[in-house]
Amino acid sequence: MATIVLLPDEVVLDGRPGEAVLDTLRRTGWTHRFGCRRGGCGVCKVDLVEGSTHDAALVSDAVLPPEERAEGVRLSCRAVPDTDVVIRLRADDSLRCTSPWLAGASSRRG
Amino acid sequence: MAIMRLGYVHVRVTDIGAARSHYSDTLGLKVMAEEPDKLYLKGWDEYDHHSVVLEEGGVGAVKFGYKVAKAGDLDQYEKALTQFGVSVERMSTGDNLAVGDGIRFTSPTEHVFELYHEIEYVGTETGALNPEAWPRDVRGVGAPRIDHALITGDDVDAMEKLFTECFDWNISERVITDPADPQLLATWMFCGQTAHDLAVLKGPNGKLHHFAFWLEDWNAVLKAGDIFAMDDVSVDVGPTRHGITRGTTIYFFDPAGNRNEVFSGGYLTNPDFPTITWTADQLGKGVFYIQRELNERFTSVLT
Repeated sequence: MATIVLLPDEVVLDGRPGEAVLDTLRRTGWTHRFGCRRGGCGVCKVDLVEGSTHDAALVSDAVLPPEERAEGVRLSCRAVPDTDVVIRLRADDSLRCTSPWLAGASSRRG
Repeated sequence: MAIMRLGYVHVRVTDIGAARSHYSDTLGLKVMAEEPDKLYLKGWDEYDHHSVVLEEGGVGAVKFGYKVAKAGDLDQYEKALTQFGVSVERMSTGDNLAVGDGIRFTSPTEHVFELYHEIEYVGTETGALNPEAWPRDVRGVGAPRIDHALITGDDVDAMEKLFTECFDWNISERVITDPADPQLLATWMFCGQTAHDLAVLKGPNGKLHHFAFWLEDWNAVLKAGDIFAMDDVSVDVGPTRHGITRGTTIYFFDPAGNRNEVFSGGYLTNPDFPTITWTADQLGKGVFYIQRELNERFTSVLT
């Protein structure tokens, strides 16, 4: 089980094995900006600050070019943590609580 | 001389195996042919060889095929396009599996279109002699046929001009900025008797917004939604109704992130159909009639 810290809000979530970051958020009452949830549109790009991830399914280089990936850019809908991770949402994106009821039970502030 | 309908959509997918499962098992299209990196599929009520081509590698649209009524139409359209200022190339039998000679052009929005008349006839799954109402062994959603495509591009006006002037298409609906200073934001165009065979939304050139499959009625749209839940399909919006076209709908994504739609209903059109206008301030209601607001994905999520 991976610990996911989301910046800048410092919300901490527990990911399940094999679960992409966006799926962890949605399961625990949170969301952020996303599109197709299938790695095709690049709308859910986030920056990996610490830790490592792999993609749950193949992501096209046209959507996430190797140079961006090398800089730590990830698609939250595809990135599955291999270790504990720290992820920063972009300035024009924001973490939103969709269910305080769920979020209260399954997340904490870092 | 006429373009009859959208014949095929050719799209790229990142994983051909996942795409096969989506289009064949979930949507219920039949695999008609396969090559190492390509699949050709059709709906049960389609009689031409294929209506969807999936190609492995990347995402987004490769090209759109529209079928013309008579072989001689191709020469006429080639002439009309050339006069319009669009360069046209001839495609030969064998360029596309099962498809005959035709013409190919790139639209002002940088999409590739092919016009053709001949394609291998395979027949519907219920046949053409005393047919049953539907095939018993249809899988998943059981989409009978492809219906239309929506693409994005910078010059929507040029697309209207090209399709109405070169192909004699008509416009069912338009979205404009403001009646006092009307700039065109989107257009829905038809060659058949449905509300649209191609729609164009202002946005980046060369992108696919979605392509749609026809369903029989609203109940079939709801049932498709149930199947999307069972198969964990990423649903964008719906089931709901569009104000524009009046169709009922679900927007969803294939496993590569290309947007698909299941669509039913809408009105009947004729060449004298009076074009409906929507103003940008009512676009939310125009696109998602019941919710009356666009989601953040409508204009940003394209492949």
